[in-house]
Amino acid sequence: MKRRAFMAVTGAAAALAGCGKSPKQIRNDFRRALGKPTAADLDGPFTAPASATIDDASHVLARLTFGPRPGDYARVARLGAKLFIEEQLAPEKIGDRLCERVIRHEFGSLADPESTIFPRGKDENDPLQMLFPALKDRGARVGDLYEWKDKVLLSDLTRATILRAVLSERQLYEVMVQFWSDHFNIDPSKGDCKWLKAADDRDVIRAHALGNFREMLRASAVSPAMLWYLDGRANRRSKPEDKPNENYARELMELHTLGVHGGYTQQDVMEVARCLTGWTVREKKKFFKGRVEFKKYAHDDGPKRVLGVDIPAGFGAGDLDRVLEIVASHPSTATYIAWKLCRRFIADEPPQEAIDATARAFTESKGDIRTTLRALFATSEFWAPETRSAKFKRPFHFVVSAIRATNAETDASKQLIEFLQRMGHAPFRYPTPDGYPEEATHWKSTLLWRWNFAGALMDNKINGTRVSRAELVRKVGMDELVATLLGRLPSEDERAAFREAGDLAVVIASPAFQRC
Amino acid sequence: MATPQAIITGNRDGRRTLIVVFQRGGADGLALVPPIEDDHYYRARPRLGIKKDVAVRLDDRFGLHPNLRPLEAAWKDGDLAIVHACGSEDPTRSHFEAQDLMEHGGLVAGGWLGRFLRTRPALSGALACVAVGKALPECLLGAPSVTVMQSLNDFALGGKSVGVRNQLERLYAMESGQLGTAARDTFDAIRRIDAMRSEKYVPAYGATYATDEFSTGLQQLAQLIKADVGLEAASIDLDGWDSHFTQETLLGSLTTRLATGLASFRQDLGERMKTVTIVVMTEFGRTVQENSAFGTDHGRGGAMFVLGGGVKGGRFHGEWRGLGQLEPRGVGSSYEDLPVLNNYRNVLAPVLVRHGGRTEDFAKVFPDFPLAPLPLYG
Repeated sequence: MKRRAFMAVTGAAAALAGCGKSPKQIRNDFRRALGKPTAADLDGPFTAPASATIDDASHVLARLTFGPRPGDYARVARLGAKLFIEEQLAPEKIGDRLCERVIRHEFGSLADPESTIFPRGKDENDPLQMLFPALKDRGARVGDLYEWKDKVLLSDLTRATILRAVLSERQLYEVMVQFWSDHFNIDPSKGDCKWLKAADDRDVIRAHALGNFREMLRASAVSPAMLWYLDGRANRRSKPEDKPNENYARELMELHTLGVHGGYTQQDVMEVARCLTGWTVREKKKFFKGRVEFKKYAHDDGPKRVLGVDIPAGFGAGDLDRVLEIVASHPSTATYIAWKLCRRFIADEPPQEAIDATARAFTESKGDIRTTLRALFATSEFWAPETRSAKFKRPFHFVVSAIRATNAETDASKQLIEFLQRMGHAPFRYPTPDGYPEEATHWKSTLLWRWNFAGALMDNKINGTRVSRAELVRKVGMDELVATLLGRLPSEDERAAFREAGDLAVVIASPAFQRC
Repeated sequence: MATPQAIITGNRDGRRTLIVVFQRGGADGLALVPPIEDDHYYRARPRLGIKKDVAVRLDDRFGLHPNLRPLEAAWKDGDLAIVHACGSEDPTRSHFEAQDLMEHGGLVAGGWLGRFLRTRPALSGALACVAVGKALPECLLGAPSVTVMQSLNDFALGGKSVGVRNQLERLYAMESGQLGTAARDTFDAIRRIDAMRSEKYVPAYGATYATDEFSTGLQQLAQLIKADVGLEAASIDLDGWDSHFTQETLLGSLTTRLATGLASFRQDLGERMKTVTIVVMTEFGRTVQENSAFGTDHGRGGAMFVLGGGVKGGRFHGEWRGLGQLEPRGVGSSYEDLPVLNNYRNVLAPVLVRHGGRTEDFAKVFPDFPLAPLPLYG
């Protein structure tokens, strides 16, 4: 049996078994496979924030991660906030065995991207890898994805995204994966994106989340899912009267690079679309389905002019790289990406000085994402008192931070995803190419479900997610727990309200925990 | 076009609610709204044709299925409009493909209603969008803050004591700005839902709801609308229209449920129906000719209903050419289809305008389609 067939059969069986398993069984399976629960051991020390305001350690935990677990504050305070930033900017040096093994164990469909993005040596605890050494780099071919049921793929992608956010030690990397997933948003419910988004997540977003923007842009431009989602596959000029499909060309400039006010014209959109004619994807019903191809006969090979730069006739497939070079190195792109990053990490309306500094680093490093982020985290605006605890967590951040703060175990199954859906923020469910909005205004109507989630979490009413409440309070201590949740000491009013309510759910539902 | 504020009736928050009823399975428009003056109809359906003397006459061309009689009042009051020969461009006649295409609004990501809600200013209501049933329908994919509701209990503040809630309210009372306002709105909504759940619901104006799932779902939607929780859009399905065999029996019960549910809801809401629109749609109609099993098979055009405030009702909208010259269904087929003369998007578009949609957003809601909205509103 060929490896591919072997993987498909065992994978499909695992998927079917996964569908029929109760959340409790899934969680027990996790434990059996890993030899321990997926939540961290509560072995302290649990030095909690002791300041009435958000200190440096609490601030970086709030912004660079999906929220601190018990013990994280103590570690970061000891290490120092700036060293923590450096640590998080080098995810390949961070060991992440527990998270990687959960993903490998549960999601055969995702083909273990970490093994190629963060290469590792032999894992003697992985029986599959020991039996089949070749599986160490088992990145799947895109076409293999079609062997999965689309619903299984969506469920696997969604659950893996939540589990990585909860479990991974590479927190900033996961935060950036979410950032770029929104930036290069693809909703899998369109056409073959049902299958191909899994490859996009692996080969575009995860491969480059802390890499180089230009390489990510290139990968996205020839990602089969993106060619489907923004109709690039239908952008052709086989006959002189064929009109190019300009959907991708427009979003490339409006959303992926220059920004809507970045200084391009309708003429530029048409010209970019002409440059990209001929790139297409093999369809589901054909051999080599999902393969991206350049069809010379469908390419408009005449001369073009994009953003003031001439592209002579006859470059064929080479037009793609010329166009990407032009848009990626345009000054508006640096400003636009810097503005979006500052909006994510500093404030919904970020100060211009911070945008400028970040944009400068982006330009000088030719789109190196780590250098750009390092510059952002070095701005005084990032550390300003008015920046701290002033962002409204998006629902995904809220939910994951609550799970992390309470050291809950979760298998990220259906009921948890339903909570995210009610708050309108389940991964991979955003229909238009602009991605989930960042600003607080869009999320203010989600309070009822945040409160309900807080109650359900603490009362263990979410199937597949479990908080060991008594152990948590006993080992961490009530006051330390409250301070960890808030990132600071509670105010007098908060202290009184928490005491009278006598329920940790109120802390999670409180205004302070909605912020980061 | 009246502004939302101008037509506020009993709806304290001035909001309008759009309810989408999806008839899954392909409902037979020619049985729901038979062309009772067209001889071709009775020749094509010698056994299943709805006889002129039992149909509820609507005008000089059409009648209603007798079990839809409860809707006659809405028609006569001018609150019910019908578009016949209506459907999508999907030629597959596959339930799945046709439903998907129609609910997505084309080969596009997300659902048309979900995308529509995303084009709106940020929703302020805690419960702006509800899907009655067990799963989120495709048309609501991508909607902000959508809740799949099986009972009104889903909206309670998770079994928490009043003490806990009071402390939470105390904490949010200290918040100014957006968060404080949003919290106060949410506490108001919770109180209204609690009040609603604590007493047995008595429908207004002598309305009584049947006990089937469809009527129960509509009743819960009526409760939510009256409780002013900010409901802007809701979906509810009525399944089982795939009438290949013994259609009369099958449709007998479904048509009754459809009509009594809608009529009770309308009666219960009374004046507030002015702020509500109910759209009834299906993925395709059925073959003009009956088959040998006393049924009909997957076809193309069906009938679409728009019930609610402001609609130019009591009349048919869109094109109709009769059953005289039809396209054969395929080479050698003795079946014919009612052609799709009216695209469903051209019915939905004016409804969305009524619900605050801006025409400049329609490229997002119904991409790659040259809209020609029907003049459903005055």
